[in-house]
Amino acid sequence: MLIRPGYLRKPVRRQAVMHDQQEKWRMEEFVTACPRNCYSTCTFKVQVENNRIIRILPYSGNLATPEGPCIKGLSYIERTNSSERIIHPLIRMSSGEFKEISTKEAFDIISDKLGSIKEKWGSHSILWYKGSGMSGLTNEIGSAFWKAFGGTTVTYGNLCWSAGLEAVRLTLGSVKHNVPWDLVNAKTIVIWGKNPAETNIQEIAFIAAAKEKGSTIIVIDPLRTPTADKADILFSPKPGTDGALALAIARVLIDYNLVDYEFVAKYVKGFEEFKLSVNITLSEAELITGIPEENIIDLAHIIGSNGPVTILPGYGLQRHLNGGQTIRSILLLSVLTGNIGKSGSGFNYANLQSYIFDDIKEPESYYPDPENDNPFRRTISMAKLGADMLNTRDPELKAAWIERGNPVLQSPDTNIIKRAFSDLTFIVAVEQFMTDTASLADIILPAKDMFEQSDIIGSYWSPYIQFKPGVIHPPGDVMPESEIYFHLAKRMNLNISKELIPEPGNDNIEKWLEDRSRGFSEITIDQLKTAPLIATGLQEIAWEDMCFETPSGKIEIYSSEAMKKWGVSPLPDYSGIIHSPEEEKFPLEFITPNTGSRIHSQFGNLKIIKETNTEPVIRISPLDANKRCISTGQKIRVFNLNGELISKVKVSNRVPSGLVVFPNGIWFNEGGGVNKLISGMETDIGFGAAYHDNRVEIERVD
Amino acid sequence: MRKGFLFDQNKCVNCNACSAACILENNWKVHPRNIYTFNSEAEILLPLLNVSLACNHCESAVCMDGCPSSAYSREVITGAIIHDESKCIGCKYCQWNCPYDAPKFDSEKRTIAKCNLCYTGLIEGRLPACSSACPTGALRFGQLSEPVPDRDYSWFPDKMLNPAFEFTSGNNYAPLKIIPEKMPCETDQKPVKEEKNFSGELSLIIFSFLVTISVSTLISSLIRGVLPEKMIIIPMLILAGLASFFHLGRKLRSWRSVANMKNSPLSREVAALIVFTFVTVVNTYLRFPSLLIVSLVIGLFLLALIDGVYIYSDKSKSVILHSGQTFLSALLIGSFFSGIILPFAFIALIKLTLSINSLKSSKILITYFGIRFLRIAFLIISGLSLISKISYTEPSVYIIFLTGELLDRILFYIDFNPLNIKSLFEDRLKIERDEKKRC
Repeated sequence: MLIRPGYLRKPVRRQAVMHDQQEKWRMEEFVTACPRNCYSTCTFKVQVENNRIIRILPYSGNLATPEGPCIKGLSYIERTNSSERIIHPLIRMSSGEFKEISTKEAFDIISDKLGSIKEKWGSHSILWYKGSGMSGLTNEIGSAFWKAFGGTTVTYGNLCWSAGLEAVRLTLGSVKHNVPWDLVNAKTIVIWGKNPAETNIQEIAFIAAAKEKGSTIIVIDPLRTPTADKADILFSPKPGTDGALALAIARVLIDYNLVDYEFVAKYVKGFEEFKLSVNITLSEAELITGIPEENIIDLAHIIGSNGPVTILPGYGLQRHLNGGQTIRSILLLSVLTGNIGKSGSGFNYANLQSYIFDDIKEPESYYPDPENDNPFRRTISMAKLGADMLNTRDPELKAAWIERGNPVLQSPDTNIIKRAFSDLTFIVAVEQFMTDTASLADIILPAKDMFEQSDIIGSYWSPYIQFKPGVIHPPGDVMPESEIYFHLAKRMNLNISKELIPEPGNDNIEKWLEDRSRGFSEITIDQLKTAPLIATGLQEIAWEDMCFETPSGKIEIYSSEAMKKWGVSPLPDYSGIIHSPEEEKFPLEFITPNTGSRIHSQFGNLKIIKETNTEPVIRISPLDANKRCISTGQKIRVFNLNGELISKVKVSNRVPSGLVVFPNGIWFNEGGGVNKLISGMETDIGFGAAYHDNRVEIERVD
Repeated sequence: MRKGFLFDQNKCVNCNACSAACILENNWKVHPRNIYTFNSEAEILLPLLNVSLACNHCESAVCMDGCPSSAYSREVITGAIIHDESKCIGCKYCQWNCPYDAPKFDSEKRTIAKCNLCYTGLIEGRLPACSSACPTGALRFGQLSEPVPDRDYSWFPDKMLNPAFEFTSGNNYAPLKIIPEKMPCETDQKPVKEEKNFSGELSLIIFSFLVTISVSTLISSLIRGVLPEKMIIIPMLILAGLASFFHLGRKLRSWRSVANMKNSPLSREVAALIVFTFVTVVNTYLRFPSLLIVSLVIGLFLLALIDGVYIYSDKSKSVILHSGQTFLSALLIGSFFSGIILPFAFIALIKLTLSINSLKSSKILITYFGIRFLRIAFLIISGLSLISKISYTEPSVYIIFLTGELLDRILFYIDFNPLNIKSLFEDRLKIERDEKKRC
């Protein structure tokens, strides 16, 4: 492993690098894992020559990702070595432009500013914002610093998946599913609102293998996604109505005697109550979802009689105001048909079995008990970041520290967030590239890339715990967050032990990781360095023991906790989205999915991604295009009460009428910024962000 | 056993990892590997499939055989077809010959660039970057089965080249069922058709037309018993030579265009052009009648070779039997210049039949209909003038006649469509769309 000297003694470092280069002239190969916020968490081999990443190759030892990473993983060759990377601290001049400064200067300014803000307004006037840009245990280190600093204001909830996580947890007691490769044993795969072809591409191999064996592949999605292209049938309901469709299917399962009564009697709580409460009729369902009655009956028969059935729900369909209840309603179908705890069956929302190091797992870690949360003040909702920042009092927010995130582009209601940011007196962003958030900062500290510090990561899909070694020196003045915090703590005379913030150097971080993973005798750093390890206590088939960690010990269709905690019905139900009269003037639904070439706002700025992917476009249906005399290639304006954006349009057969689709994560300079149009709203349960309940109108820009 | 690309289209979701890996490994300025999608606009009721293609390193490598500058060679250990950029003259002949769209033109370097199977890595035991990068296992590299299993990929371009490429799964050719069912209608988006770009072929049109006229001049000279006019034929030949010269991407390497006399019809054409020009120009000074016959024979031979260059790339009937072929045109123009009616009428009838025939062919009915119509009209007008002997020596009739012949040559380039994955997909899509949709 590399031994990295302290950053601040520059001459010493230069010597060490030269010495090191001679040693490292020959090519070396390491096994590593991709730390992005993505299902796959691919293991791959990386070849390093002369402190440069030169090649990325698959690693077949990870059974979930044996063929290696996707195009984004391949693009690390460019990303890590990119000439556009920020590798020196930058300060914003009064002219608005950024100027390079030394790390020492940057730290001086930051400790001065933070110190005086704390003195004047208290430490809670600082917002510490963390995104999901890079996962790993070392992310905990920041929390030790800010605790010692006196606590800050932090966010609660989650932008991505927490409504669904909470829905699964309420029903099944914990959030897990069968190992990814068990999918080939399913006779029916229902891909519900998920698009693995773009967001979990290795799953396609298992889906294709199942299809080859004769399984039925069903996709339920308003859009015809590349995943749908691989399916037998695509059901295309109106967005946000998945819950109604699921309840209608449940209704058919009951009416046509397709329920697994033995399973239900033994393991399920609340079936009788549900049976009485489910009052949606098929004709109502047809009206709401747009799926004809007879097709709902067909679909219910496939799910009810062609098992084992695995449902692969996505995260997009729970980014609705009714998202939590939607997931509870769909999960119900797996439960009623007895498709839990068996090979080839299940409800694969997320598999947190590899998160063994967390004391509190998601989703509960998104809104921890305030007593354990001390000294942090958790008053800002992730979903309503801008509004909550503006509304915060006693003390008001004066500064923000942003790491691993790009909230200006990615959080709902961009225009309000921008206003909240402009009210701050001091913003620090730790970033790799000049993102739309970084460009609003006063100081930008260059952030590490994945190859520049060792870490341990889990996955929310596969059961592996993986070691991600530091294999190259960071370029320029780049410093991992752990070292930034170490130096700042020293400068600000915060007394923090080595156990909480390790000293600089990758060997120290590895020692810290070793200490951190102590207590898991089966998993040691040395073992992890050789290969990814299966999480201790893994159930390959989740709940094969039929033990559910719910209050009743059974699968809870009826959940009192749901009612108590979130004020929703204890049973899964459907409530349509009610728009205000002003919103009704905007006739089109607006959804902002992820694409294969980005992880949220990451990767899209790279040349190789731009070169191999078509330019980002707004997609609309032929019918809506015709009505407005819009054709492919033109620029259109998408607008509603929140804001507007202008970008190129593609009229696409993949989009049903009534829908406007524009991926999230596209930077402003590329015509992106979907969150300009999106209101900050929370999901029914789990404090998630309801991104997909916005309406818009479009018009040609001539 | 031969190795090659094994492709499972059921696993390909058009993620472009193969294409990116190829570029990252080799620092290409072009995209040697691409994913070609049948039904890229996802029109309903039609199947949709993706194929990842780069060079298939064919056993009968038609790119290599056809290459006039011998820029292609076969690497011995891996069997890879390697393109040597430093030998390439940028004539793009290989782009016509390859049905898999493998040779790409690098507009910066003005040469072709093409997949090299990552052969240096392959020799060291590393797989080609594309196949190693495919995250679903759709594209692999390995042992090809022999004999090639019959999997009914009848739409896959086949020129009997024996490509090192095999489909490993059955052809899952069922269209996606969509609920609620939509009626196919006129609003369904269709792919934007790439119009054929003639600017690249303009120099070829000029070249072949001028050579045709030159040979025709020789024919009429011989018939009328006068030696050809120096001031006409020499500028024409110089212009023709320049046109073909300017067609090349790398003009300073033009001498390499005769480096593959053994296999390349293009090399032979260039050699014949040189000899023809030399003999013809020399004879304008020497003025030997016997040499005139020699130069005419060489000229006709040259025209046959020119026609052969195209037939080598596109063996379809509409090209072989095209009225715009240079040999046929030279005979017609020659007899027109000499004013001899019977041969003229005979050849004109042949050309007329062929032209009218191509007018009927469904694919090209609408586009370029005007040109086809004019071409026929011009031939009839000038033919009637000649037969009636009223005014065929009028310059205007000459102009009408020659314009008609020029249009015919342009039509030849319009109808010249070498077998190619892109055009095959387009044609097939049109057929299936017409079959399944009535709207």
